[in-house]
Amino acid sequence: MNRGYVWLVTLLAIPAFLWLVPTIWMVSLSFQPNEVLARTTSTTAFGLLPIPFTAENYTALFSFGQTPWWFLNSIIVAVGMTLGVLAVSTTAGYALARLEFPHKTPITVLCLIGLMVPEQAVFIPLYTMFADLGWHNSYHALILPRMAVPIGVFLMIQFFKAIPQDIEEAARLDGVGWLQIFWYIMLPLARPAMMALAILTFLYAWNDYLWPLVSAQQREYFTITLGLASLQSNFAQSEGLGRVMASGVIASLPVVILFLIFQRYVVQAMTAGGTKG
Amino acid sequence: MLASLYLGKTRRLSRFNAIALGIVSALLVVLPGFHPGEGGRWYDRRFWPTVGNTILFVAFAVPGVTISALLLAAALNRETRAMGVLRTLFFLSQVLSVTVVTLIWQIMFSPRQGLIANITNALGGTPVTWLTDDQFAMAAIVITTVWWSLGIAMILFLAGLQDISKDIYEAAALDNAKGWRAFWYVTLPNLTRTTTLVVVLQIILHFQVFGQSHLMTQGGPNDTTQVLVRYIYQTGFRGSELGRASAMVVFLFFVMGAFSAIQFIVGREKNA
Repeated sequence: MNRGYVWLVTLLAIPAFLWLVPTIWMVSLSFQPNEVLARTTSTTAFGLLPIPFTAENYTALFSFGQTPWWFLNSIIVAVGMTLGVLAVSTTAGYALARLEFPHKTPITVLCLIGLMVPEQAVFIPLYTMFADLGWHNSYHALILPRMAVPIGVFLMIQFFKAIPQDIEEAARLDGVGWLQIFWYIMLPLARPAMMALAILTFLYAWNDYLWPLVSAQQREYFTITLGLASLQSNFAQSEGLGRVMASGVIASLPVVILFLIFQRYVVQAMTAGGTKG
Repeated sequence: MLASLYLGKTRRLSRFNAIALGIVSALLVVLPGFHPGEGGRWYDRRFWPTVGNTILFVAFAVPGVTISALLLAAALNRETRAMGVLRTLFFLSQVLSVTVVTLIWQIMFSPRQGLIANITNALGGTPVTWLTDDQFAMAAIVITTVWWSLGIAMILFLAGLQDISKDIYEAAALDNAKGWRAFWYVTLPNLTRTTTLVVVLQIILHFQVFGQSHLMTQGGPNDTTQVLVRYIYQTGFRGSELGRASAMVVFLFFVMGAFSAIQFIVGREKNA
């Protein structure tokens, strides 16, 4: 290693630390007693070190309050949406990339034109549609509108187009039907792309805010993201800063862990979605 | 009617045209039910300032994110373990949800409990009341946004940097272009497409800002951080005027559509 490189890493460590400070602070505050926080938030090293230490905020969080319930809601919605997106995107992607059927081009264009429609532009009609159906305040209301994502279809079309024709033709000569080709040949090949799409969808579902905000009005159907927002608006009076910060940590843990494990897929999917959308 | 008469006078439209225009505009008013709002105004007094705030937000957040992401990506563009760890750290805030991000920063900026205020106090200064001060509220939201959404831009720049061939740098080094000069004369020109893409993507993303304004400042103080999507949300869901909110959505849709088209064209260029 040359000296220039060592200097660069050292210099970059400073902004990296500053970048992390807000997160460290949240974690640290969540481990401090509420009575102390009510007086001052900078006991040790501006509050960046959790001294005095307590885990009470976390035990309190799980023994009463709605946070565990919201956490469970988030898991149901995020997993449901991920499975739904995978089902729609792989089937649509395969059909549009590899099968021949009438009006294929206009259908593809119609699917992909959705890439240009921002979600904020459709949430009012969606809201009225779901209101007419009486579907608000339910899990399916939180999951269904986000199942058909153009970017997912787009990624899968790109992926299936890149698979060599020979594989499929060889299978067809052996008398294998297209449904079996899709299930036994294409899906296993598409595993990396599906993985990337799944993680991206999960992150998106977990962090989604605007749609749950308008659709879930009863606290029982809040996702953790939404629940945290409702705690935020009156955190001072009710449960204490430490408790709210603990909720924040709990809300972030799944996505942070998922990201750290599958970083490669996340980066890959985001690059593909960003440059080619 | 007034408009058509005015047109008739200045552009010397024939009388027939003027009358036709008048009839058409009268029909436009009568048929779909166009009419002035309360107080006889033809426009919503809060709408354009809201659009202005949104543009202001975009005008600060987009260059903020783009420039810091570009510099970071250029510095982090090496395949070593340490660089990988640093990249992960800078990207990490991106995966947090908007409510966690605003929770952290709301308290960071708090004049009584905030980390920034604590440090200011320790240095002997008077803390700024970031979120309730007309002049600082927008800045606070922009800082939060840059912290939150730097990751994607950095990743896109890193991908763009990988595409620049090593030969160009070697050739440039022969011409004595290293370090900053190489960055300015070699890296930047080769990143034009990526930069355009990042800027357009960020504009699309940040024009739809909602959570930061909704949760940190509630659009205040004095509407200085009231942004378009929050106004739409309020009009539609708090004021129950879904029709008026939809009209604003159409406006948003056209702005977004224009930028999406640019993104599509730029994204295509490389493949063509």
